[in-house]
Amino acid sequence: MGDLLQFTLTGVTIGSIYAIVALGFVTIYSVTKVINLAQGEFVMLGGLTMFSLTTAGLPYWVAFFVTIFFVLILGWIMEFILIRRAKGADAISLIILTIGASIFIRGIASVVWGKDQLRVAPFTENTPVNIMGATITPQAMWVVLIMLLVVFLLYILIDKTMVGKAFQASSVNPLAARLMGVSPIKMSSLSFTLSAALGALAGLAVAPIMFPAYDMGAMLGIKGFSAAILGGLGSAPGAVVGGLLIGLLESLGAGYISSGMKDAITFSAILLILLIRPSGILGEKSVGKGGL
Amino acid sequence: MKLHGVQQTKWSGVLIFALLILVFPMIVTQSFYLTQATFAGIYAIIAIGLGLLMGYAGQISLGQAAFYGIGAYTTSVLTATMGWSPWISLPVAILVPAVVAFFMGYTMSRLSGYYLAMATLALGIIVHTLLVEWRGVTKGASGFFGIPQLNLFGFTITQGVPYYYLVWFFVLVVLVLSLNIVHSRVGRALRSIHDSEIASSAMGVNTGKYKMQIFILSAMFAGLAGWLFAHMSYSISPAAFTMDASILFLAMVVLGGSGSVWGALIGTLLIRVVGIVVHALGEKFPFITSDFEHVIYGLILMLVVIFMPRGLFPSVTGWFESLATKRSSKKSMLEVAAAKREV
Repeated sequence: MGDLLQFTLTGVTIGSIYAIVALGFVTIYSVTKVINLAQGEFVMLGGLTMFSLTTAGLPYWVAFFVTIFFVLILGWIMEFILIRRAKGADAISLIILTIGASIFIRGIASVVWGKDQLRVAPFTENTPVNIMGATITPQAMWVVLIMLLVVFLLYILIDKTMVGKAFQASSVNPLAARLMGVSPIKMSSLSFTLSAALGALAGLAVAPIMFPAYDMGAMLGIKGFSAAILGGLGSAPGAVVGGLLIGLLESLGAGYISSGMKDAITFSAILLILLIRPSGILGEKSVGKGGL
Repeated sequence: MKLHGVQQTKWSGVLIFALLILVFPMIVTQSFYLTQATFAGIYAIIAIGLGLLMGYAGQISLGQAAFYGIGAYTTSVLTATMGWSPWISLPVAILVPAVVAFFMGYTMSRLSGYYLAMATLALGIIVHTLLVEWRGVTKGASGFFGIPQLNLFGFTITQGVPYYYLVWFFVLVVLVLSLNIVHSRVGRALRSIHDSEIASSAMGVNTGKYKMQIFILSAMFAGLAGWLFAHMSYSISPAAFTMDASILFLAMVVLGGSGSVWGALIGTLLIRVVGIVVHALGEKFPFITSDFEHVIYGLILMLVVIFMPRGLFPSVTGWFESLATKRSSKKSMLEVAAAKREV
């Protein structure tokens, strides 16, 4: 029983990270119909930038916000330089374009930060807490909390503000949105910026747990992508469900079957789910609504 | 009459190419470049298959290294562990990836676009994990040793000139086969699928069947490449069949131009040249490490998609064609369009 609880807690923690990364995918996809496979690199940049800033002696929370700002600017630049030029390209070209960007960013990061895993301090005092025979670190709780906060803030932004309405409008019909005075280009730019910030936030939250390195983004990106696909692309609740599901599959698979096989187990399960529901778990519900 | 002309240029191209293959080892004798050229041949076989899949069936595979690995490990298990002759294991090494592709195809036939990319990505990760973890069969992360050499008519095909000729012989076979497919009824059906799947299925083209067939064919090519790789290097490990490898194959096709058999081949050669140049620069300037290679591959992918969406080969031939049209006003627009389609 203690085992099951432990695996579940671990699964929810990892799953929350995947969920935040997946929300980054969804934010961009629902506005621009682009899948940004460099999303995982934003996470990596978040963790590594935080390492550099705190080692340089910046106070923790100043470094925290500077990191988010830095990665957010990079996201904006990426949209400005790459995505805007590739307007009208098909899905395959866009996948290739963002894969190119992710290899490029990873290569640069390996030159700048080297190949070692780096250490970043946790948000708060990090003594593990014992709950009914299972342990959980305060940082893991922070991760879950941040995920919930992100979901809440995105909900407010998309459903309750004018910016959110503009987001939804340019997602549903870019031409009509333009006629009503909404600039789809600005929205595209904004979605990339927002999604980069989300990536950085995931990187900051996970850095004290995972010890960031230049190549951490690849796997996180793939898991986040899987979560977004599993939930049904374009659905924010789906991204969270997908993320948590993958986290749990991975943690239970590693615990009960084999830790080496966990990725094979997880992805086999994803293939199975896609075989049964080709548009993801919550995919069909979002069809027609177009929003997050 | 037009068709006749196109056919002629097609086969004269193959002939010139075969001659180039023949004379290359006579001009370049350093074993380093010969090994590189042999590797380029192995990759070219995979890239041509992937090019057919992307350019003609309009599908993307982010897990092509899985089929390459399945082919290599199939022959390793059969020859090194079970003592089969490599020539008997050859058809098996091609067949096993085809069977995997067939079952994957069922999942994939219901998916498209990003969902499909996800599925192939998943396949690549599953196969790589199995190669590392299924130690009883694959020998785990350290890999296989003692894979037997190939024998032909009593001669051992060793690394160097003999293996170079063997690999490029297979490249020629794959090239001719692919050009034939592209110019056949199936090829025309596939091009129509690429342009509009709905329109072509409305015209009675069984789109699912053709896509499935081309996916299986690309897996078979990758399996063949895996067989060649295993018997060339005598030892293999899962490190050669990662997602990075899949993305490298993707880069080759994108650079050369998907939707062109020649493009995939030229893309492969160019990417290998980039690798060699970076390696050579790295020996002179220590700050240029192998990571630099990835930075350049990333740059190439981005630049090609933005500035040459059709890839290098179709773009260059496109320029020549438009030059030719300007010169000879006799050539009708229809013919140009037809020529473009045939490349």
